[in-house]
Amino acid sequence: MERRLKHWGTGYIFIFPAVVLMAIFIVYPAVKTLFQSFFDAGGNWVGLKNFITVLTHYETIDLSRFPKKGPPWGSLINNAIWILIHLPVTVLLGMLFAVMLNKIKGGAFIKSVIFLGMVIPMIVGGVIIRFLFDENSGVVPLLMRTFGIEALDFTWTAYPQTALMSLILGSILLWTGFSLTMHAAGLSTIPREMYEAAEVDGAGILRKFFFITVPMLAPVTSVVIAMTLLYEIKIFDIVYAATLGGPGGSSMVLSLQMYFYAFRRLDFNLASAVATILTLFTLIVGIWLVRNTMRGEKR
Amino acid sequence: MKRIVILLLCLLAAGTFLFAGGAKEEAVKPTITMTVPWAGPELEQFLPVVRAFEEKENVKVKCLTYRGEDLSAVLPAQFEAGQSLGDIIFLWDWWVKKNDQHAVDLTDIWAPVKSAYIPSPAEAGGKVVALPYVMVAKPGFWYRSSFFEKNGLKAPANWDEFTSLLKKIGGISGIKNPIVTGNGVGWPISDVTEHFLITFGGAELQNKLIDKSVKWTDPQVRKIFENRIIPLLKEGAFSDPVEWTQAIELWWGGEYGLYFMGNWITGMVEDAGDLGVFTLPGAKAMVTGQDWAFIPKYSENIDLAKKLFAFMISKEGATIRAKQGGKLVARNDISSSLYPKADQAVAEAVSKMETTVLDLDDSIGGDWQRLFWDQLKLLWVSPDSLDDVLKKLQAGL
Amino acid sequence: MKQIRIMPGRIAHYSLAWIVAVIWLVPFIGIFITSISPLKEIVHGWWGVKLSSISFKNFIGAWSHPTSPIGQGMLNSLIIAVPATIVPVFFASSAAYGILRYRFPLRKTIFLITLLLLAIPQAMVAVPLFQILKNLKLINSYLGLIIVHTAWGLPWIILFMRGFFSTLPREVEEAASIDGAGPFKTFFRIILPMSWPGLASVSSLQFTWVWNDFFLALIFIYNPVRMVATQRIPLLRGQYHVDWGILTAAALLITSVPLLVFILLQKYYVKGFIGMASK
Repeated sequence: MERRLKHWGTGYIFIFPAVVLMAIFIVYPAVKTLFQSFFDAGGNWVGLKNFITVLTHYETIDLSRFPKKGPPWGSLINNAIWILIHLPVTVLLGMLFAVMLNKIKGGAFIKSVIFLGMVIPMIVGGVIIRFLFDENSGVVPLLMRTFGIEALDFTWTAYPQTALMSLILGSILLWTGFSLTMHAAGLSTIPREMYEAAEVDGAGILRKFFFITVPMLAPVTSVVIAMTLLYEIKIFDIVYAATLGGPGGSSMVLSLQMYFYAFRRLDFNLASAVATILTLFTLIVGIWLVRNTMRGEKR
Repeated sequence: MKRIVILLLCLLAAGTFLFAGGAKEEAVKPTITMTVPWAGPELEQFLPVVRAFEEKENVKVKCLTYRGEDLSAVLPAQFEAGQSLGDIIFLWDWWVKKNDQHAVDLTDIWAPVKSAYIPSPAEAGGKVVALPYVMVAKPGFWYRSSFFEKNGLKAPANWDEFTSLLKKIGGISGIKNPIVTGNGVGWPISDVTEHFLITFGGAELQNKLIDKSVKWTDPQVRKIFENRIIPLLKEGAFSDPVEWTQAIELWWGGEYGLYFMGNWITGMVEDAGDLGVFTLPGAKAMVTGQDWAFIPKYSENIDLAKKLFAFMISKEGATIRAKQGGKLVARNDISSSLYPKADQAVAEAVSKMETTVLDLDDSIGGDWQRLFWDQLKLLWVSPDSLDDVLKKLQAGL
Repeated sequence: MKQIRIMPGRIAHYSLAWIVAVIWLVPFIGIFITSISPLKEIVHGWWGVKLSSISFKNFIGAWSHPTSPIGQGMLNSLIIAVPATIVPVFFASSAAYGILRYRFPLRKTIFLITLLLLAIPQAMVAVPLFQILKNLKLINSYLGLIIVHTAWGLPWIILFMRGFFSTLPREVEEAASIDGAGPFKTFFRIILPMSWPGLASVSSLQFTWVWNDFFLALIFIYNPVRMVATQRIPLLRGQYHVDWGILTAAALLITSVPLLVFILLQKYYVKGFIGMASK
């Protein structure tokens, strides 16, 4: 018994500093935010009122405009659109690029170039996006001009129809490196013999891709999906630097909305409600990720 | 392993270098820190005043650029912690009045200049809490005189002449749009919008919008947008929002004819002598604003800060400032001939007005200001959303 | 014969790869060219620049910018990022080791909660954290931000290091304990030195993330003298003056540090990413 207690004690000493720090600076504030979202500024319990206020506000969901009229549609819808476009595109591009760059000359260099987006500060990423889509200094409007697509030859970040799209396209540029790197690492673990066996059976490139590569990469892909979702839900820096959520809120996202509520309007309770909604989404992803991890553990 | 060593060495070298650079800045002289709302050329125009004071008193003055909207978010927490960003802080008068418990009483430095000053100080709780320093004016649409001469254009005398001027400019080859729209955080658009509101609704409307006794959805407001601004937007009289300093280059280079801007533009172009300016025909009031400053109680150099502030508003300090141009000084004993030529034109334009009004979004401030800028940016590129924009502006108040 | 038959496919393959590379490189090239060109020549796009007019004065301008010097910002970032890397890596390694090797009550729960913390967005803690730091008088202080970054780095480093430690052979530890080394001595003298590749991975990533952080700095550091490098970027593109040359030069200066870390520690860096995810 004494030995057991000593064993426990040693374990606790090992984890003590980390647990205390996490408890004070992550768990406690998160729980407090959760509480604050159910109270008003005077400290009175208001139930779900803050959530209703947030969710029915046009800055969050503007049903009078969505989907029949153009943006602004509200931060929640913008986050959703972000996920709908950014998630499949980055995951697929990453996988395809991994296969394409596998074992070709210069492949490592190209991979590093694409990975650059993961290395630079996101705030710089925002500046790059401003730049890419600027009518006078941007490459994208230049391309549109060159190909005669006059309708898109303007500053993308200045128009409600294109502001969100320019941010999403920019974030694809920045984030594909993650998916690529993960899939490339996954690729190197697939045994050669599987492909050789398939070749003997006469399988072509496409067959090999869909029947060996994709299924073998599935565990990696699921992690990539989870991490990408977390990134998309929390997106903040590049919006702040590129559009500040504008014009007219057409590229507003939940984190930025929370920041404005908390640190510009000083409405901490409404801000807490936005943060709680945000966390609800990330936790769903988080729990899925944890279950995945734990399952891998038992095996 | 080798790479880690290289990296550590790099970090170490960088650190030493940075520390050495930082250490150099440590001055032995007493230092006053001042936050100012100006950067670039605007700041350059102010620095001679500071240099003169530094020489006189053998002190060091540090100027940090800080925007009002950032300060207003930062200062409450700072003050509560008994700290302050600077010994003199430039910020809106309404904000200082609302937070007067944190401001030092400036009655003693105000008294000597009282008789020579045009505007009055900001008072709250029986003390003088903030003083106006320089004046800015938003006189109207700027053009290059040489451009107008070459194309036989002249400043309009009525609305029809204004619209036909825009058409004429639009027809000149090389012109993209008659008026360039400055973008940034969004304030250049709000300035031009206010000019329309004041021209067609009078100073009264501006004041009522500031004290919120007129709604944004009011027919009077809506009509000005609908009849004056929206048609121009739809005709393409205004360009898309362009980063506003880039816009200066493009406009100066002849891609646009007119640019609505405050008088600080005189300090930002190659040849201020080539500038001309006109108001919208019929305008009887103009937005002018003072840059206000106060001394927070948490300054560690209150006496020295007061000394500097007193110097800035003294005749000696004001004369140095006036010669630099870009802003008007608020004393009545400074001859207008001291200013550079372009600023003399602004001073004249101001004197032609019946009255002056305050800046709308600066006066309301807060998160609404951001909303206002953001919504106008939207309106500028999609004029059809007018009703939606007005509704949101009203709801956001 | 066979060679010739494959050629068209190979050419297509290589050209496609390099087209992708160019697409990803162009934005960075644009930023770079803008940073070495005078504003006048690039108002119509950086591709129009004349090579004769390039200069590096924008970098000097950004480094010692009168209102928002990037040099000072980078010093602040370094002052924060170095301890905010070392401390959490150390605490998290110790916790990871404890969770892996010691079967104490609540062990599973603590690990589970730690994993869930990975999903918490910074927005969820921002307001109360601001109040806590205010009460501790740690707003506007390097120490405050270092503590927050430390806490924030712990969950993922714990996860990573736990995975890493589990790949170490247990025999070494057993041998050490037979030799009479206590648990802490074993950890410090044997486990940590054996784990340097893992420590290099987490350190390079944690350092980069702290350096690149914008949100936490935005909330906790207001004093312009103390502002970190990333915070100064939006200030350069302020209300009053925008100079694309200075802005892009500043962006490149700030990027250079994480880029250097990446180039020198590429192997560990990428392993950090992979290790975090593939269990």
